[in-house]
Amino acid sequence: MSAAVLAADAFVPLFGVYQCVAPLVSRRTLRFGVRVPLEYAEAPVICRERRGYVWRSALIAVCAITVLIALADAGDGSWRWPSRVVLVAEVVADAGCFWWAHRRISQVKSAEGWYAGRRQTVVADTSWRTEPPAFPVGWLLPAVTVIVSTVIVGVLRYPHLPALPSQGWGRVDRSPLTAFGVVVGQVYVTAVWSGLLALVYRSRPDLDTADPVASLRGYRKALGTFARAALVLLACIDLTLLLAALQRWQLVHLSGAAELLVVAPAALGLAACLFAAVHAGASRAGFTVGMVASDRDDDRFWKAGLVYVNRDDPAVFVCARFSFAWTVNFGNPTAWLLVAGFLAPPTSLVIIRLATGA
Amino acid sequence: MLLSIEPDGPVPIYLQIRDRIIEAIASFEAPVGSGLPSTRQLAVDLGINFHTVNKAYDLLRQEGLLRIGRKAGAVVQRDATSGPPSPGFEEDWASRLRTVLAEAAAQGLSAEQIVERCQDIVVGFLPVTSDGSAVGEAS
Repeated sequence: MSAAVLAADAFVPLFGVYQCVAPLVSRRTLRFGVRVPLEYAEAPVICRERRGYVWRSALIAVCAITVLIALADAGDGSWRWPSRVVLVAEVVADAGCFWWAHRRISQVKSAEGWYAGRRQTVVADTSWRTEPPAFPVGWLLPAVTVIVSTVIVGVLRYPHLPALPSQGWGRVDRSPLTAFGVVVGQVYVTAVWSGLLALVYRSRPDLDTADPVASLRGYRKALGTFARAALVLLACIDLTLLLAALQRWQLVHLSGAAELLVVAPAALGLAACLFAAVHAGASRAGFTVGMVASDRDDDRFWKAGLVYVNRDDPAVFVCARFSFAWTVNFGNPTAWLLVAGFLAPPTSLVIIRLATGA
Repeated sequence: MLLSIEPDGPVPIYLQIRDRIIEAIASFEAPVGSGLPSTRQLAVDLGINFHTVNKAYDLLRQEGLLRIGRKAGAVVQRDATSGPPSPGFEEDWASRLRTVLAEAAAQGLSAEQIVERCQDIVVGFLPVTSDGSAVGEAS
């Protein structure tokens, strides 16, 4: 097994650990995507499903790693299929476990009428808009520096490139597009990632009805920490692309364990970002104190506790129901346009490559 | 300023928003000159249609409490420090107050209880001094 394959396989245990832990670090009034009153936060069904989820997701992670080891020699070259297939299967299986726990808790909540006769409120703190948090623009500097460095190295190297630079899919004529494709990738990832973060800064904060002031303070702090971790991840991805470009431009030749260097920055950045998300999610769990009124029971807008569809809500981005993450409101046409715009460039690239056979 | 509403409650949402903003102005949480979020921003934060927020803001503008400009957005136009109310306000307010107090009396609250409760509410609107007592509160 080469070092590059090993690095690709590392995402399976990484996501295994994340998905095992992430659904457990949510607000106390959100359990597996189900909104619950505070006094039911530790209801027997919730404790039982939480234990069950940990065992099931841990078992899935162990099975995924075992299958990966068993298929160590399958796949070849750049198309290392077992890690991709196993990763997808792992994510789907964990989503199934989440849905199972969600359904069981929803059934008990509905049967026992946990929200019957309760005052349900929604709260907004206008200071979020009148004194908005500042986007940490300075933390974009490492990513921009890496892109500029890539461009400078590429421009200096371009005249000396062989006529047919090698590619993963074969050999093509030298042209600015083929030579600087990596830079296009860096710019795309940086623009999309930082743009999404900027939109998150303008989206609705996740406030706790019981103590909105403290929860907003905590949300601001958690958002700042997460945004910095996300921008570091961005710089790490750009660095991985730069290292890939150096290989492609035949400036460095990495082989054996040294191949790990290419993927290592992105893998480490991703691990740090996931850790920051879980940590921020865990920090929100402590905000709910004494309840005067309950959060609004809005489970009807959440499909399986994961997908938000509310046509009456003008929000495009909303906080997800576990860890520290966001999702789009699929009831808003703008969200569909955003998802389409996000997926269009990579999808077009794949279609063009398949059509031209390049 | 905290805006807490009950979307599924019996009171229309635009009236709840209007009431919360008036309470914030009365308690100097939103003094004259302070800005409010745009209708779209507040609608996103409350998860409601922005026409509903627009209706609440428009009502407050008609009552002379908000000024809505294209560049500055919604700004609090008057509070307790802005002088006496506009002519006709007191009569209109007194008729509404009569109904609210009649409700309390009909439900069996004594006159002393009603007056005491009114006094507590009015004192709650006064700005608090450094020693924790309300400005103008009778000691």
